[in-house]
Amino acid sequence: MDPRTCLIIDDSRIIRKVARRIVEGLGFEVDEAADGAEALAWCSSAMPDVVLLDWNMPVMDGLAFLRRLRALPGGEAPKILFCTVETSPERIAEALSAGADDYVMKPFDGEILQSKFAEVGAV
Amino acid sequence: MTPEDFERLQALMATRAGFRLTRDRMHLAEHRLGPIARREGFDGVQPMLEALWAKPVASLGWAVIEALLNSETWFRRDRAPFDSFSRELLPALGRARPGGLVRVWSAGCASGQEAYSLAMAALDMRAQVEVTATDLSSRAIDRARAGTYTGFEIQRGLSASTMLRWFTPQDDHWVARPELREAVRFQRANLLDEPGEGPRYDVIFCRHVLKDMEPTRRAAVIEALERRLVDDGCLFVGSDERLEGDSIAFRPVNGRKGLFVKSPSSQSRAA
Repeated sequence: MDPRTCLIIDDSRIIRKVARRIVEGLGFEVDEAADGAEALAWCSSAMPDVVLLDWNMPVMDGLAFLRRLRALPGGEAPKILFCTVETSPERIAEALSAGADDYVMKPFDGEILQSKFAEVGAV
Repeated sequence: MTPEDFERLQALMATRAGFRLTRDRMHLAEHRLGPIARREGFDGVQPMLEALWAKPVASLGWAVIEALLNSETWFRRDRAPFDSFSRELLPALGRARPGGLVRVWSAGCASGQEAYSLAMAALDMRAQVEVTATDLSSRAIDRARAGTYTGFEIQRGLSASTMLRWFTPQDDHWVARPELREAVRFQRANLLDEPGEGPRYDVIFCRHVLKDMEPTRRAAVIEALERRLVDDGCLFVGSDERLEGDSIAFRPVNGRKGLFVKSPSSQSRAA
């Protein structure tokens, strides 16, 4: 079986690096993108199994990416975890109703990501 | 902290809490006792311990004991036991019990995540459930009763939608809604004490508690759990915990890690 893939979308290189280390530890092959537009390009060539998605990014933000991805052929399939500093219930509810499978509030750690991956059935 | 101090702490933990303070926890103990020493007005851990050994004061002794217990817990820790509880046990027990009332005990509840996980499942199903949660640490019980968790704690085991449904944000923390807090009765209790009278429980969660106990105390605690459980009840321990070496009161359920039912011998004794 091919290794499962996770696309990490965040404009912070440090967050991508921290998340990559954790997600690789969960047995995933990881790709990175720095904004929603770059991420959409990735997804149209190879749909990942899981997407870890920041909200506020230049070019295309997380919510716009999420809506565009879900409209793509096969775009329903990836498990999408928002991963942002936004912690108000309204924003969390907005992300979930736009099609996110779960939501991670920064700061996070390995135990939280593992728990969230388990919650959406990715591990 | 001298090696002698640590040995006396080990003895204190063993006799009062039945807790096995292993040697690899020496640095952790020093680290945890620092804030206790400050809070109790001592000029460091060493003066506090010297005062404790010279004239043991119950309140200081318990403050030290509480700081050294293993209080790590998650919401829906390991997930599978909580799924068994909500999908299989609750519906079956609700049908079998008079008035549908199911009694559940979270034994060694620490800061309350396990008890609230059970209560959320029951409330979601509109099942009639009494959740009782006990812990040796009165500080842990106060925290549990407050139902207030950090961003890290609330995300360990809870999905965002469950979090939004049952908790509200307040000053960087997430607080359990009143109807959830009211669904759990928290009280301080020592598992080493003789269990009191009262109705027996249909389900007991005592997870990740026995593994930290002194081997010599485990059998008595397991047998006390058995006396507080109805004959057809279920006991959940940690997924990697085993009871077979300590007691014959329970037998494991095949294919369900950490799930135990009473052995035939305990049932006939109870009858």
